[in-house]
Amino acid sequence: MKKAILYINQFFAGIGGEEKADHAPEIREGLVGPSLALDAALKNAEVTHTVICGDNFMGSNQDEAVERILKFLEGKEFDIFFAGPSFQAGRYGNACGVICKAVKEKFGVPVISSMHIENPGVNMFKKEVVIFPGGRSAAAMRKDTKKMAAYGDKVLAGEKIETAEEEGFYVRGIRHQVVDFTLEPAAVRGVKMLLKKLAGEEYVTELPIPKSDRVEIAEPVQDLSTAKIAFVTTGGIVPVANPDRIQSASATRWGMYDISEMARLEAGIFKTIHAGYDPAAADADPNVCVPLDALRAYETEGKIGSIDSHFYTTVGTGTTEAEAARMAQEMLPFLREHNVDAVIMTST
Amino acid sequence: MKLELGNFYVKDVKFGDITAYANGILTINKDEALAYVMEDEHITEADIVIARPGENKRIIPVKDAVEPRCRVNGNSVFPGVTGGMTPAGNGRTHALKNTSVLAVGKHWGSFGDGLIDMSGKGAELTYFSRTINVCLVADTDEEFERFEQQKKNKALRWGAMRLSEYLGNAVRELEPEEIETFELESVMKRDAKIKELPAVVYVMQPQSQMEESGYNDLLYGWDTNRMVPTFMNPNEILDGAIISGSFMPCSSKWSTYDMQNCPTIKELYKEHGKTINFLGVIMSNLNVAMEQKERSAIFVAQMAKSLGADGAILAEEGYGNPDADFIACFDALEDVGVKTVGITNECTGRDGQSQPLVVLSEKANAIVSCGNVSQLVDLPPMDIVIGELAALGRDGLSGGWEGDDKLGPSVRKDGSVILENNSMFCGDQVLGWSQKTMKEF
Repeated sequence: MKKAILYINQFFAGIGGEEKADHAPEIREGLVGPSLALDAALKNAEVTHTVICGDNFMGSNQDEAVERILKFLEGKEFDIFFAGPSFQAGRYGNACGVICKAVKEKFGVPVISSMHIENPGVNMFKKEVVIFPGGRSAAAMRKDTKKMAAYGDKVLAGEKIETAEEEGFYVRGIRHQVVDFTLEPAAVRGVKMLLKKLAGEEYVTELPIPKSDRVEIAEPVQDLSTAKIAFVTTGGIVPVANPDRIQSASATRWGMYDISEMARLEAGIFKTIHAGYDPAAADADPNVCVPLDALRAYETEGKIGSIDSHFYTTVGTGTTEAEAARMAQEMLPFLREHNVDAVIMTST
Repeated sequence: MKLELGNFYVKDVKFGDITAYANGILTINKDEALAYVMEDEHITEADIVIARPGENKRIIPVKDAVEPRCRVNGNSVFPGVTGGMTPAGNGRTHALKNTSVLAVGKHWGSFGDGLIDMSGKGAELTYFSRTINVCLVADTDEEFERFEQQKKNKALRWGAMRLSEYLGNAVRELEPEEIETFELESVMKRDAKIKELPAVVYVMQPQSQMEESGYNDLLYGWDTNRMVPTFMNPNEILDGAIISGSFMPCSSKWSTYDMQNCPTIKELYKEHGKTINFLGVIMSNLNVAMEQKERSAIFVAQMAKSLGADGAILAEEGYGNPDADFIACFDALEDVGVKTVGITNECTGRDGQSQPLVVLSEKANAIVSCGNVSQLVDLPPMDIVIGELAALGRDGLSGGWEGDDKLGPSVRKDGSVILENNSMFCGDQVLGWSQKTMKEF
């Protein structure tokens, strides 16, 4: 019999609601709360342990929570990892996604979760985690758990995994070609699709284009000579020790570093940790990516009012739009607090 | 313009004393055929080898495929290419169906060359496992490009076209088993009933991204890089006005055979007068500079609009950079109110996670997808290799490699191969054969 471990939050562990959301991570042998339903539904594995963590603890001490949980799991035998279902609960969905992703990276086991389509965790983690559509509330517990278990059984049995549509999980952006001699040739598919489009009827494109979330270009700054300017970069320029441990690709972390006393970014003090381009030029002169030297010259000449005390930085390569938007939201309060009037965004 | 394609359905191809066709059997006098091919002094050695569907044979490096045909009036099949400048698309052309002439390097491959397996899993990934292939396996004196990754392959490609004409002439004076008629009335002078149907154009973007002549698809012998989009009668495409080039990664390539038989044109003809009013083909191209891409898109959209098109089918011969031309054209057509369906392949990477096209647009909301160029393909050894297997790893074929840290070499010692779909010969069949699609996993 193979072994499974389930992650749940403090609420479903029966510890308490919002008042207990700071509950520190723990691991318990055996079945707690939803583990019972999962264990009952799984044919090819038994649930040996339940990991429990408060949603707030995960939300505000994510690195620590993940570190502690991964430590619990070290040395435990398990073939598959589940989290949730988290229904429409946003923080719980986020926690399920975070821990599934970390467990997959560290232990290489399949990770499976379930969330309602409106749970923000879906968009944040569907690329890394197999997430099944779930109900809005705990009323769907049994049904959602069964879906996770059925897929888990299939994976554990080494059965062929069909398309996301056939299996029923959210699409992950993993597109492969399929040869299907029952399929009409492209010419016929194309003409039929055109006839439907011309008639205003429903049709299904074979290459759905993701909706682009365009940001309008801002109005020009009225008076640059009094404006405070900040740098935000996705070029991965950081102090050489990379104190915030920003990842070199698929970043989820960002940093802000004091430059108020600097005329330029010196090589040897700053460097790039971005894995998506040749770092030689930016390491030799970080100003090619974050041109503090040039902006200081403008400041001296009076072309701009001043430069923000900090610059804000992360890595853009492989970083999802959802993560990038979250990081920007986290930077905004600082930019506002510093009374920044305009931002220069630099990439690579 | 009225084109009659007189079809002869070939059941087998054999060698014999005279080149002739009878009772479904095409017999080739090999010496005579080779002597004809070798009139081109650039071909230094040549052989003809036959490969039939289901046989345990692998053909590589394949540079082009051509359907054997003749023009009954004696003009060349490929005007401006294998003969004088004469019109295509009108009159009678005879074709040996189920067969194709392949241009195969005896030794040397190039970036745009591909692989054909006549049986097994690989056979599913190319149309040309279904045709009886008359392989012209040859070497040439084109020393200037012997060790180049990009080759014009002129002698071999012209050799295949000339051999196809030589074979086609066997049925010039015979009565076809079937005649397909393709006739489009003048755009202006059509029945009121047809004019009530939605008007549709087919927009083709053949490969034309090499600045130097000799690599691009040719239109009546003219380099498609050096033209702006133009309006054509679809019969011209079906009747040899355009030939394939020697540049694009092979699965994206449209072979000369594909264009002679363009399934999308045939499908549009089938619907003409029933559900649509098929106006014709806007022959565009693919470009290098953004300005050129946008210029072509403007020409296409204007022409479609001026012709009164309500809808368009748009197809690109390539992926990557050409996606910019494809999307620019898609946007331009939608912007002038021409409802468009695109047909293309995708490049989602070996893990399937890359952005499918280099450029995306929300206006490109109707796409038929024909495959992933970077899908890994692992194929067992074949008993017989026609051409030279080593070319796959050695000569810079788009889907092959010399060595790879994880995957090892493309060509293994036991004759099995691992390659990207990129090098399956004309495998993505964007002109319309494709029974592949893309799915989320």
